Amino acid sequence: MSFLNPLADESLDERLARQGVSRREFMEYCSALCVVLGVGKKFAPTMAKALQTPQRPPVIWLQLQECTGCVESVLRTAEPTVGDLVLDVISLDYSHALMAGAGHAVEKALHDSMTANAGKYVLLVTGSVPLAENGVYTVIGGRTAKDILEEAGKGAAAVIAVGACAHFGSVQAARPNPTGAVGVADIIKDKPVVNIAGCPPIGDVVTATVVHFLTFGRLPDVDPVGRPLFAYGARIHDQCPRRANFDAGQFVEKFDDEAARKGWCLYHVGCKGPATFSPCPIFQWNTRTSWPIGAGHPCIGCTEPHFWDTMTPFYGRLPDVGGFGIEERVDVLGAALAIGATAGVVAHAAATGVHQMREKNRQLPVVDGPSQGGTPNK
Amino acid sequence: MTKATPQAGRPAAGQQGFHLGADIAAPSGNYRWVKLWGWPIRLMHWLAVGTMVALVVTGLYIGKPYFMAGGDTRDHFLMGWMRFIHFAAAAIFATTAIWRIYWLFAGNRFERLPALFPIRPRDWVNMVKQVKFYAMIEPEKAPHYLGHNPLQQLSYTGVYFLAMVMIVSGFALYGQSDPSGFFYKAFNWVGIVMGGMPVVRFVHHVLTWAFLIFIPMHIYLAVRADVLERGGVISSIFTGGRFVPAKHHFVDGEDLNE
Amino acid sequence: MAATKVVVDPITRIEGHLRIEVQSENGKITDSWASSTQFRGIETIMKDRDPRDAWAFVQRICGVCTVVHAVASCRAVEDALDIRIPPNANIIRNLIHGMQFIQDHVIHFYHLHALDWVDVVSALKADPAGTSRLAKSLSPWPNNSETYFAEVQNRVKKFVASGQLGIFTNGYWGHPAYKLPPEANLMAVAHYLEALDWQRDIIRLHAIFGGKNPHPNFLVGGMASAINLNDTATINAERLTDIRDMITRAQRFVEQVYWTDLVAIAGFYKDWAAIGGGVKNHLCYGEFPEGDIRDLDKLYFPRGIIYDNDLTKVHDFDPAKVQEFINTSWYEYSTGPESGLHPFDGETTPKYTGPATPWTYLMGEPKYTWMKAPRYEGKPMQVGPLSRLLVAYGKGHEEVREMVGGVMSALNVGPSALFSTLGRTAARGMETVLLARRMNKWYDDLVNRIKNGDTQTFNQEKWDPSKWPAGESKGFGFLDAPRGALGHWVKIKDGKITNYQCVVPSTWNCSPRDGQGQQGAYEASLVDNHPLVNPEQPLEILRTIHSFDPCMSCGVH
Ligand code: HEM
Ligand code: HEM
Ligand code: NFV
Ligand code: SF4
Ligand code: SF4
Ligand code: F3S
Ligand SMILES: [Mg+2]
Repeated sequence: MSFLNPLADESLDERLARQGVSRREFMEYCSALCVVLGVGKKFAPTMAKALQTPQRPPVIWLQLQECTGCVESVLRTAEPTVGDLVLDVISLDYSHALMAGAGHAVEKALHDSMTANAGKYVLLVTGSVPLAENGVYTVIGGRTAKDILEEAGKGAAAVIAVGACAHFGSVQAARPNPTGAVGVADIIKDKPVVNIAGCPPIGDVVTATVVHFLTFGRLPDVDPVGRPLFAYGARIHDQCPRRANFDAGQFVEKFDDEAARKGWCLYHVGCKGPATFSPCPIFQWNTRTSWPIGAGHPCIGCTEPHFWDTMTPFYGRLPDVGGFGIEERVDVLGAALAIGATAGVVAHAAATGVHQMREKNRQLPVVDGPSQGGTPNK
Repeated sequence: MTKATPQAGRPAAGQQGFHLGADIAAPSGNYRWVKLWGWPIRLMHWLAVGTMVALVVTGLYIGKPYFMAGGDTRDHFLMGWMRFIHFAAAAIFATTAIWRIYWLFAGNRFERLPALFPIRPRDWVNMVKQVKFYAMIEPEKAPHYLGHNPLQQLSYTGVYFLAMVMIVSGFALYGQSDPSGFFYKAFNWVGIVMGGMPVVRFVHHVLTWAFLIFIPMHIYLAVRADVLERGGVISSIFTGGRFVPAKHHFVDGEDLNE
Repeated sequence: MAATKVVVDPITRIEGHLRIEVQSENGKITDSWASSTQFRGIETIMKDRDPRDAWAFVQRICGVCTVVHAVASCRAVEDALDIRIPPNANIIRNLIHGMQFIQDHVIHFYHLHALDWVDVVSALKADPAGTSRLAKSLSPWPNNSETYFAEVQNRVKKFVASGQLGIFTNGYWGHPAYKLPPEANLMAVAHYLEALDWQRDIIRLHAIFGGKNPHPNFLVGGMASAINLNDTATINAERLTDIRDMITRAQRFVEQVYWTDLVAIAGFYKDWAAIGGGVKNHLCYGEFPEGDIRDLDKLYFPRGIIYDNDLTKVHDFDPAKVQEFINTSWYEYSTGPESGLHPFDGETTPKYTGPATPWTYLMGEPKYTWMKAPRYEGKPMQVGPLSRLLVAYGKGHEEVREMVGGVMSALNVGPSALFSTLGRTAARGMETVLLARRMNKWYDDLVNRIKNGDTQTFNQEKWDPSKWPAGESKGFGFLDAPRGALGHWVKIKDGKITNYQCVVPSTWNCSPRDGQGQQGAYEASLVDNHPLVNPEQPLEILRTIHSFDPCMSCGVH
């Protein structure tokens, strides 16, 4: 997509021609992206126009408490590629991972962009915000993640929280959350925050969301946990190619068994697809090469809030609520109690029999009542 | 002549129909026949029993597919059928539940809210005696109830509560497949309240076992009462009434006691 | 002249949050402090969890070296529970990890390190014809034409002309330490962009075996990607062909672009072969098991210890001699602040005692980082590509000896040149070339095994916790990651993790001072004959620090 170079002194057709791309191809690209975004092809011209503004829209990318997996994921995007995005579509004014300078030089670049573009820049955030101990668990340039995020949030036109860390704190927020990590939406409350869920998310969802904002001037519609509907609107389980095996009752019971070698459903070995909203089966990963279930591993539910606690043990079918999910301990316990109840019933019946015999003196009256349907209440 | 119009505004006892408070037979010998359960309750009970068995069996399969279909995917629909039966049974089960809620207000005095929930102080006092009864300590001092005794009340309250949780969590799970659909929108709060859909699923799964614990005890107690009291307790849930010893004083049958 | 205090924070083009403080005098660095300023507490989070889940948690320690913690974790758990993985699974892990090395090192070179040596602005002055001539003299790579370089130059020109410099804003352009001619700069810039596309192609290998990258899936006991040549949902002939092609493309780029660029650029910076050596003890756990992991003789890169840069003697590694100290780190130990703990008994109890934020200086603080201080026999160690290469060299690894010999003579320097900033960067390139070649062997091994009817990828025997040893079991999972020696130590009891400790390459290299005042590798290298011409433009610091390829999320976790 190097045809996205938005330089003012060149017409779109000229530019496309220079880069060996026809206008039709470019429009096709925009149409395809419109379809991905679920807005319909009719918006392709709007998008084409939006992607070629003379001034590239400023983007500031903060990396807070995180593992950089989300940045790496964006580096794997198909269309537009990150190179095209950074050189041609947006102006990436701050990025810890890619900036040439360091220290004061980049802090100044950040500050200058925030001032010059106040109210106009897109704020991308990867990573969570640790709140315990006054935020000392993530300090950048001497300032806490919370400070930095609050400042950058003020002038942002849109806030895009990329990845599970920015969404809810991901792994560092897992029990017992030693650093008090929270997501971006817990800090920025005065404007909408869209959550590109996943640990990491598919990079293409991030770029598509940015393009959505550039095209329509607003963030895409979201579900109750802030995830854009165009990507997270459906469950994995309802889009999964192994669903036919699920419905048929064909399950992998152990990894690498005959069923696994036939690509059957992974429900039995812990697949969290039935509880996970994510576009993995449709978008797929790494320029549509594969996706977790496609490579034989159950989905671990990485787009769901707090999946580290609610979806574990990953290879069990039930979450470990209070230690009962492990190895389906509840089933063992439940069956034991049910059997126990039955046994208790039997014992009680026996005791009742004994009791009855002891109470010999108690004479049971002989029924001499009326036949059924005897005149009621005359 | 027995006064048998416990609730004002109710049709006089003795008239047929499910609006009757209680049909109490005139004493005949040592026993009299008492009408307890209207047909709606009885139908509801047996529908619930049938669907619940189906729900437990299919639910446990859904939770852990313990047998599998081999061969070609196109030839089988095992899990599909399990889920279909589960959802069909769920629909009937939920309907009976709604029906029962209505009947808490429209039913006779043995079927109404106060008879199902131990909400009166006397029920709590009697409950202790009832526990002793089952422990076979001073069984003769146990109070007599025409309808549910306090312990039964409590366990039915519990079972109805369980049923509600099953229904709510079940529909929340059901809604997941179509986030723009009615069930998703109507029941999405469940996940938020319980702390995520995986927890909802866990709760739905665990409570299945609670039913499996309730069922044997419940059936046993019904049979036991039947045997001990020879009053046809079991048949009451078929026929709607049972025989009660005429000499007993009934906590919930003041009007019956001379 | 009094010492100048210099703070560089954030250090960019690394993983995570690193703060470097130095004192400099007369253009030289006299003292240095490396502070890692993020803590996540993943070790404590592992407590009470299912050991089979651990790989996924600890994998999220880092999304850059995204496979290494997962594999180390699987190995640790497999060690504790005595699980042997099938040979195919081992080969698949090697292929994944090998590709991780290749991709990670190339990204590091072009996207994280190159701008320390390459002046993008100078590339605008280049003559594309000259660049084409230079490139052709170095390599048969197809994208070597004048028009190609002219297009790239044009793109950069327009970018600069737009006035929106984006990630290049406030770079140290024009700094006297930049030595490349404009033509070489242009070549490097072109390859910076090409490498971006290349890396996302070759890393698809992870998606085939693990479903995705970053953070592909692993499995205790083997791999989840079943092999069946006759199914569409498994590793089949089509997938295998795709993998072979990726390996070919990876190797071609590494040999014809990365390596030739590296040698060409190094030629202009030979002075950096005498700068930034630092810690002289090297540790390598060894990596790429070509048999069972317990068979240490079958590691492609051998295991060993080197003291004092003495390559004539490679010592055996004894896992019992690893300890972590917290004298200058923000933690406390139940055994006292001076004690060192072996990772099996390691503790992670954060205790911040630093100044309130915003900070001015951390130098002078008794404790100044979240990084613990690992020591081997009480000594600070350097780890990474250089250490790996040195150990292999010392042990007489033929391919390594040949490679090192070739480079030494090409650059006309002696072996001591390796103990330097440039040496680390060159070593990284050398091992990438070796691994790109080795990938072919592993691929062939896998295909041959499949041909002979072995498709097993997972050992089911001990999947079920009922088959696990009673009582407490302990495991050490080692691995040599792109950045160096990585160890995970796990204790398991009643089916759950009771202690989990990671000592990571960047923990070794970014180690702060210990009780004896011994500095870790970053700190020591910055005071080893290290220039700093202009404290306002700390380009030299970036060069040396980047030569380690820092990863702070890894190091602290
Ligand atoms: C007594 C009543 C019920 C019992 C005992 C029962 C039992 C179960 C069990 C054991 C499961 C498997 C849970 C797991 O481990 O994943 C299940 C799943 C499910 N149940 Fe029920 N259930 C009951 C009522 C309902 C109701 C009223 C609904 C409402 C629609 C419902 C809907 C579902 C759904 C949607 C699933 C998940 C199936 C899937 O997504 O494949 N259940 N049920
Ligand atoms: C799935 C199994 C069953 C469930 C969940 C169940 C549930 C219930 C509930 C909730 C009631 C209270 C009715 C009301 O007032 O709303 C009830 C009453 C009753 N059930 Fe069941 N039932 C089950 C099976 C059975 C079976 C198999 C029998 C017969 C052997 C039985 C006999 C009775 C009788 C006799 C009563 C009413 C008498 C009393 O109050 O003790 N039930 N049952
Ligand atoms: N240090 C480090 Fe890693 C590596 N290589 C891992 O163990 O980078 Ni994130
Ligand atoms: S969301 Fe996951 S992949 Fe992304 S930064 Fe956080 S831990 Fe890493
Ligand atoms: S593999 Fe997972 S998502 Fe796919 S059908 Fe089976 S349970 Fe559903
Ligand atoms: S684990 Fe995550 S990557 Fe997709 S398949 Fe599941 S949501
Ligand atoms: Mg550690």
